[in-house]
Amino acid sequence: MSTYIISLAILIGINAILAVTLNFILGYAGIFSLAHAIFFGIGAYTAAIAAMKFGADFTVATAAGMVISGVISLALALPALRVRGEYFVAASLGLQMLAVTVFSEWKSVTGGIGGLIGIPPVRFLGFDVSDPVLFLGLTIACLALIMIVIRALVRSSFGRSLKAIRDDETAASALGKNVALLKTLAVMVSSSFAAVAGSLFAFYLSFINVESFVLEVSVQIIAMVIIGGTGTLLGPVIGAVIVLLLPALLTYLPYLPPTEIGSIQQMIYGLAMVLLMIFRPSGLWGYGQSQDRKGDAP
Amino acid sequence: MTGDILFQADNISKTFGGLKAVNDVSFALRAGIVTTLVGPNGAGKTTLFNAMTGHLVPDQGSVTFLGKSILGLPHWKIARLGVGRTFQDLKLFSHMTVLENVTTATESGSWLWQTGGRAAKAARIERVERALEATQLVRRRDTRAVDLSYAERKFLSIARIMASGARLWLLDEPASGLDRSSYDRFLTVLRNEVTSGVTICIIEHNLDIVQSISDRIAFLDQGKLLAEGEPKTILSDPALAAIYFGERGP
Amino acid sequence: MVLLQLFLNGLQLGAIYALTAVGFSLIFGSTKIFHVAHGSAFAISGYIYWWLASKLGVPWPIATLAAVIAAAAFGLLMERFIYRPIQRHEASFFTVFIAAFGVQLFIQNLIGTVAGRGMETVNTPLSRSVEIMDGLFVAPISAISIVVAIVVFTALSYFLGRTHIGIAMRALSENPDLVRVFGLDPGRVAQYAFVIGSAVVVPGAIFTAMTAGLNPAIGTHVMLVSLAATIVGGIGSVRGAACGGMLLGLAENLAYWKLDPQWSEAVTFVVLFAFIVFRPSGFFGSPTAAR
Repeated sequence: MSTYIISLAILIGINAILAVTLNFILGYAGIFSLAHAIFFGIGAYTAAIAAMKFGADFTVATAAGMVISGVISLALALPALRVRGEYFVAASLGLQMLAVTVFSEWKSVTGGIGGLIGIPPVRFLGFDVSDPVLFLGLTIACLALIMIVIRALVRSSFGRSLKAIRDDETAASALGKNVALLKTLAVMVSSSFAAVAGSLFAFYLSFINVESFVLEVSVQIIAMVIIGGTGTLLGPVIGAVIVLLLPALLTYLPYLPPTEIGSIQQMIYGLAMVLLMIFRPSGLWGYGQSQDRKGDAP
Repeated sequence: MTGDILFQADNISKTFGGLKAVNDVSFALRAGIVTTLVGPNGAGKTTLFNAMTGHLVPDQGSVTFLGKSILGLPHWKIARLGVGRTFQDLKLFSHMTVLENVTTATESGSWLWQTGGRAAKAARIERVERALEATQLVRRRDTRAVDLSYAERKFLSIARIMASGARLWLLDEPASGLDRSSYDRFLTVLRNEVTSGVTICIIEHNLDIVQSISDRIAFLDQGKLLAEGEPKTILSDPALAAIYFGERGP
Repeated sequence: MVLLQLFLNGLQLGAIYALTAVGFSLIFGSTKIFHVAHGSAFAISGYIYWWLASKLGVPWPIATLAAVIAAAAFGLLMERFIYRPIQRHEASFFTVFIAAFGVQLFIQNLIGTVAGRGMETVNTPLSRSVEIMDGLFVAPISAISIVVAIVVFTALSYFLGRTHIGIAMRALSENPDLVRVFGLDPGRVAQYAFVIGSAVVVPGAIFTAMTAGLNPAIGTHVMLVSLAATIVGGIGSVRGAACGGMLLGLAENLAYWKLDPQWSEAVTFVVLFAFIVFRPSGFFGSPTAAR
């Protein structure tokens, strides 16, 4: 029983990293990405290859994943952010679909549909941390570190600029802000930190394949951010907890056919998203409803 | 130096789908004075502003600021050169506090941190405090912009442009809808800024405001600059008054 | 000859994509609502047609009518019960998008649970290919789908250009107050946009059911293409969306000439990406729309 709880905690931690990093661009900068699972995947594949082919330890493998993730996010962000937000959504959806095909077909690197197996046990600064409890500690440490960095960024001039862009892009650029560059930087930060989650995931399972990085996963991360609440630091973590506990809860309901649990899960996310947007857009833990604008020019 | 030409537009034109929104307009904005753009609705005033701030690129003509051409520069670069602008619908950062709105106005650098070190940071903080004091928003510094009163929102819009350090302020109907006392305060703030070296160009409809604030007036109609000069001359011209109040031939 | 075959297949697919894209563009263009649940209209009408025509043996005119009613009802319900309440308070791009996305997610999984996750097709003699030339196979359905697309598009052009409501729909995106000048209520016009925009996908859904087949995820795929076609064609241009859809259908099929089938979706993305980089305003979009 306790191994199950530790496993669940590790998965929650990994997903919390994904939710927190997505919230950085979605909640703070107002950028919509449907491709977050891809950067998760890039981090995972890179870390796996670094460990398998080059004997890299956790820090090196993760750093490699972060770099590659950041570079690829640049390729997505630069053209798409020059124009309006809807274009980024479309481009990110396209990237998500394209990357899944690449993950499935590039057998020499990603192992194709079969994926990569036999990822070596994780070493961190010389220590073997593959013991579940130690790994949980590593996961939590990564989550905490990432949250600290993001908190610092949010409270800095960079964070203010992003929030300004989210609230009114035209006014932000009228104040001299290079909106395209700021958004691109935000996307790069978000994507490279998402790769950390990928690295943890790869070492935890010792096996990865494309099924973990498909559109449904990107959607699940969005659900975590929305349900937990955007624009706050803790919201996404709470969202991750709720979303990951949901399947466990659902298995307790006797009349649900087990084959349909995945489907029902997604239906619940969908329903939650709709209801939240109608009644409480800031999510369960968000900073509360903003009042209606108090009268503009007569 | 007062009187120097800060901004110059020469023969600029802009056509939208067959309609000449700005038609061969030339004028200059001199340092240290307030110029008001007046004209009936649809005269092209906001379009002219857009051309000056780089939101639009004129089809013809040249635009220079501080002697250098700014034609074709992206609008954020023009903003960084010192051309500030407010909007008719204010465009405040609604979910941010007053303090954050004004602070972010001082942070035009687009990297993960601002350059300049501690001295520059201290100077930025000083600009923020000065702007909050001048607009009497010090007590409201931690209030979110969306929760401010109408007048406070107008003043926040000015506090932002003040903190940004812009030398040329382009204000689009900044005082509309203000009650008498707020409006007087508003004018005082603008006058103080002009005294300390800021150049202001305002779009305004209310003739009372125009009269009390302008050093020079530019009259636009249907995209053309019809007249430019001292308030007394322009405001007493019967032909312009007729156009302004819509008494025009078929 | 292979190339010509692919070209003909591409025309058929392009016709289907064009219809769906036009629906999306109509809705987005007039109401400014980023209706990413549009793919669900496609999926719902397709599955209703299949269930009635194939499983229950209902004659095709009735099944078609039912599919049209289902799609139109879907659009109407979305506007009335989802988008309108949201627009009453916090109507940002964010809330609208997430709500639509949630609906799409819900419906896709509902279909999967109720109708199964396999590929379902409607068997019809129309989809049997006939060899019209050496090595060139065309099924009657291909010609029919192209003709239907042209007819629908012509009717739509007439409607948008000549009728009060049609003109009002175009005006709605520019200036909602203009609509009142016509004596119409902007809310009503938005409803029309949703009903027509959703109904227009039905031919495409039916043809897909007869040829490539339906699966629950078809909504997502169709949505991606509609989105790409709208951008490629130019935001705000219904004509552009049709051309964009045609282009993407052709591109997807011509890609088979050199690439494996798994890469067909990738082709859509590459075309979209190329347009975003080199010509963000698309074929017919206004340059300001790209800002």
